[in-house]
Amino acid sequence: MEKRIGVFICNCGETLNNIDFDAVVKKVAEFPGVTSIKLISTLCLEEGKKKMLSCIKKENIDRVVVAACSPEFKEHVFRQVLENAGLNAHLFSMANIKEQCSWAHEGDVTGKAVELIIMAVNRTRLLQPVKKKKFSVTRKVLVIGGGFAAINASLQLSRAGLRTTLMQRAAILGAGTAEVESLCGFDINSMVSEVEGDENIEILTSAEMTAIAGKIGNFTVRIRKGCEEISHKYGALVVATGYQTKLALESELKSDANIVSQEKLCHMLRDPDLEIRPGTIGFMFDFSDENSRLPTLATLNNALAAKRKWGSEVYVFYKSVKVDSEGIERLYQEARDCGVMFLKSDISPRIAVENGKIKIEAKDVFLDGEINLACDVLVAEEQLLPAEETEAMSSILNIRKDSSGFYQDENVHLYPVTSEKKGIFIIGGCRGDLDISRVLADISSVVVSVYELLSSGNILAEAERVKADPQKCVACLTCIRICPHDAIQLIRVDGGKEVAEISDLACEACGICAAICPAKAITFQGYRDEEILAQVETIG
Amino acid sequence: MNTESNDVLVVGAGISGIASALELANSGVNVYLLEKEAVVGGHSASFCCKATDVCSQCSACVVPDKIKEAVSHPQIRLLTNSTLRGLSGELGNFQVAITQKPQYIDQERCIACGLCTKVCPTDPKAIHPPFAEAMPFCYVLDEEFCLRFKGEKCDLCRKGCPTKAIKFTVKPKEQELSVGAIIVATGFDVFNARKKGSLGYGRYRNVLTGLDLEQIFTREGYLRLPASGEEPKNIAFIQCVGSRDEDHDYCSHVCCKYAMKLAGLIKYHNPDALVSIFYIDLQTAGKGFAQFYEQYKKNIRFVRGVPVEVLQTASGKLDVRFEDISQGKVCKDTFELVVLSVGISPREQSWNLARTLGINLSDDGFFAERDSMSTNETNVDGIFIAGTCQGPRDIPDSIAHGIAAASKAVQILGQSVSQRRGNQGIH
Repeated sequence: MEKRIGVFICNCGETLNNIDFDAVVKKVAEFPGVTSIKLISTLCLEEGKKKMLSCIKKENIDRVVVAACSPEFKEHVFRQVLENAGLNAHLFSMANIKEQCSWAHEGDVTGKAVELIIMAVNRTRLLQPVKKKKFSVTRKVLVIGGGFAAINASLQLSRAGLRTTLMQRAAILGAGTAEVESLCGFDINSMVSEVEGDENIEILTSAEMTAIAGKIGNFTVRIRKGCEEISHKYGALVVATGYQTKLALESELKSDANIVSQEKLCHMLRDPDLEIRPGTIGFMFDFSDENSRLPTLATLNNALAAKRKWGSEVYVFYKSVKVDSEGIERLYQEARDCGVMFLKSDISPRIAVENGKIKIEAKDVFLDGEINLACDVLVAEEQLLPAEETEAMSSILNIRKDSSGFYQDENVHLYPVTSEKKGIFIIGGCRGDLDISRVLADISSVVVSVYELLSSGNILAEAERVKADPQKCVACLTCIRICPHDAIQLIRVDGGKEVAEISDLACEACGICAAICPAKAITFQGYRDEEILAQVETIG
Repeated sequence: MNTESNDVLVVGAGISGIASALELANSGVNVYLLEKEAVVGGHSASFCCKATDVCSQCSACVVPDKIKEAVSHPQIRLLTNSTLRGLSGELGNFQVAITQKPQYIDQERCIACGLCTKVCPTDPKAIHPPFAEAMPFCYVLDEEFCLRFKGEKCDLCRKGCPTKAIKFTVKPKEQELSVGAIIVATGFDVFNARKKGSLGYGRYRNVLTGLDLEQIFTREGYLRLPASGEEPKNIAFIQCVGSRDEDHDYCSHVCCKYAMKLAGLIKYHNPDALVSIFYIDLQTAGKGFAQFYEQYKKNIRFVRGVPVEVLQTASGKLDVRFEDISQGKVCKDTFELVVLSVGISPREQSWNLARTLGINLSDDGFFAERDSMSTNETNVDGIFIAGTCQGPRDIPDSIAHGIAAASKAVQILGQSVSQRRGNQGIH
């Protein structure tokens, strides 16, 4: 059937004076396939849109070319007109006769305007509609982890009305949170009992993920618990597996009972039966890992607690204090006011054990001299590392890590909680070094993101904008390997042949697969070869 | 009469306000996005891209995308040039009074053709385009320069406008909105470097702030000395100007990283330039920053100690006096350009808005959170805070905080009235 193409030309309030619009209209009108052509002075304004709409209806136009300014500014406005007229918004092209033509050139500007419009007409003739479709999603969330962020997120997701599974590798929920608890003074046990009492939350401990299939909205996760393996369906995944710390010490010092971690000191501070209170305590941070905030936070809190509870003499050796978290400058001031001694040093102090005491030799930058200190307990410098399972999990989930090995690629467009794989979210310490207020923001962010995705039970999205033709696909896997969003999988079709299938929900329409497919089996609506060639041949 | 509303008002269309509004709108909530300026984006829209051969992850490029999405979102109603004048009611049923400055140029009708600027007889032009990435891209009128506001009868732009978008007869517009919740995201003021008189800002042309430098890179794409137009060879960055001092009990979170990234950009354009950064403590934490810091350590000179005085020499260079703590003595160095890494200050008008809304301010002058475990909530139920109006944040943290505020609003509006009474403050 002959396509009825309507061309709407805008002269931007008669400001594009170097184009002879009468000549443009005359030339374009002669071009075969152009059903209607209208010159409207300000197409993007209400009156212009009205004229465009009535013309589309009156002349039975079924696809549209607009020759106006950059699509950056107004494309969404014109697409809306098409939708209002009951046309598919993809049956539309824009020719930029303002910034890329009138403003840019002298000489035969009219000629270029005509060419741009005819290129768009030739493309538009071949365009195919892209329909929207409702995709049903599983209204269940899997939260992986058992620390503060995981428990808190589960509680909020459940309150938002979503069935939630909280799964962790360890046997007891909230076991490793002593340090965080002391940092922000909450009670993990009450949170754990709240989770346990919540009917909307299923708890799986000593369990881990072994495989995942499916895409956003409908993931199938294989979970191993003990010796049995089960499959569950989830609409979204929230990864909150936290971080681990490692003492940055030479190995012979690690075994010394008086050289401890921040977590060990937290336990000592809480221990009512502690026999000997350490008289002198040393802390160290920011020498071997200069890019973490949490050691500063832990040191300030623990130094203050030791000062207050035990009345110990406290010396802190550090290079730079990391005060770029909420309230930390004040905490730093408070610690100094309480008599905690802060000693800045550019190089890591030397540590030795002598007669049961720990000797610290440092060069202080203010005093410009050597400091020798013998302390009873040294809280050694800690390095922040990704949790143990991160490596294995990231390959199961197929999500990238950053340069320090934590989850989430360093692409700034992914922040705060999304991964490059739609439907998989990353929150808290497992995506980097976050203080408590940042973790809380992560938790709230993920709750609303998951709610947005799953609450209604279905998602309206464009279907088959990018599609692999099962007849042409030879299952070479090139597209599956290249897709940055992990949106393509192999499925078995009738006759036992395996072909690539693109998930409409996971696809971001970047077009890489369509460009690279050696069998030319993948088409990207709006950018198909014939559509692009039709434009090129116009001016050829 | 039941006037319960589930609409949300977001006050301030900087990056956190936009993040809040988008998240709310995508969750099906109707949003009013209030902005006191003519264009949205706030401070975040004025930062430059700091990429060298590789992306430096400054997040400046995230902003235009979000702005465009918010401006064209069918569920977000944008109210520019508008301020909040009054508030009554409670959670679920707030009445908000809004005043809109006279809109001399109708945003719906301006097509940014530029004819008005061409005919405007003043210098500088009283009617001009907003900055390049501005959205909505509508021309703005400066009452300060426009002849009509000086009693003259100039009518050139109005007559020349092809879409009749300019009207001088318009009056301020008052309107009242009914909303269920309010998110305050009014952002920050850049610290006024003139307050530190001894550092020479405002007196010496070659003393700039970090924000000035951002804008020079955005506008020109390269760095030249404001005084002579030559390429500077010796540049000093002074950290903590308006942070971590007797008046500011906080770190501004952003300055160390923007200074290092700008220094990296200067070195990229001119590898022979010498760049020194004077600091108290280096804030080098953050995703992916370790790899950049390793590079910066190799080609930037870091000096522990913040200068107290900058003096211009007869030849126009700048003498910087500082205590080099590592050497334990007072030193003097000469630079061609000094950049003050100015920090984030609370908005001067925060106090007025706090009074109108009945919310508390913290000791530092930012809006106070209800408690440290809920940094989006205020002492008033249904009024939330997002972004740098609550405390210093960089762009990613502001976006996260904005989304978190939206989350709180969605959760509380999703509850029935009785549930809300029984379950105040969801953490």
